[in-house]
Amino acid sequence: MSEYKPVIVSKGRGGWGGPLTVLPTDERPLVASITGGGIHPVAQRIADLTGGEAFDGFKSSAPFDKIAVAVIDCGGTARVGVYPMKKVLTVDVHATSPAGPLAQFITEDLFVSGVKPEDVQET
Amino acid sequence: MTTVYDTTVTAVGSQVPAFIEHGILIFFGEQAPAELHDISVLHRVDVADDGPRPGDVVHLGEESLEVLAVGDVVRDNLLNLGHLDIKADGLTEAKLPGDVCVRKGPIPLLATGDAFRITRPATTAEQDLS
Repeated sequence: MSEYKPVIVSKGRGGWGGPLTVLPTDERPLVASITGGGIHPVAQRIADLTGGEAFDGFKSSAPFDKIAVAVIDCGGTARVGVYPMKKVLTVDVHATSPAGPLAQFITEDLFVSGVKPEDVQET
Repeated sequence: MTTVYDTTVTAVGSQVPAFIEHGILIFFGEQAPAELHDISVLHRVDVADDGPRPGDVVHLGEESLEVLAVGDVVRDNLLNLGHLDIKADGLTEAKLPGDVCVRKGPIPLLATGDAFRITRPATTAEQDLS
């Protein structure tokens, strides 16, 4: 059994949605960084504070249902919708708002944007 | 003319035609996570020197589309992830930071093996009008 702690992720400047409470579990331990250039600092901070496992989604594959939270650097169309559509908590480091064909799935209880590492706080 | 980005399509997701109906075409490098495959054209990169700029031309198979506008995060997304969002919205200023805007109108449906290329006209255009 691993010990996990919750964090609160709030929107940053110009951002939208949230705040989200992120709490990995034994069933969903992964903090997936679906971003360029390795583990994003926001994903690393969430992993460090929660005890979740930081994971580079572009380097290796994981079962989708193991993801506690997806950290993305989406420019507004694709990834902002895909993860909320699958009911996965989604943190966009860019300050995007619901848009695109999947906008209907992007809701405040699943999605928060404009997030910087300092917007991730212990509860 | 310089080719700044040159790749080959390796797979076309099942949701791609639905996005094309909305005037949107999404690319990801073939190493993208599985959950993105349905909505994406996946491709294998041969040349990745730069992202698109306004005035460049995007080649989608046989079709060529001039780039009208480019959002702020497009270059990073393309060079890091092979990710690009083409919007056939005719805008000259990108609405979203990930948008690459081209003229309104149909977007071709790519197939495995098609080329996806970005070319840049020579900066000192030499026009031979003789």
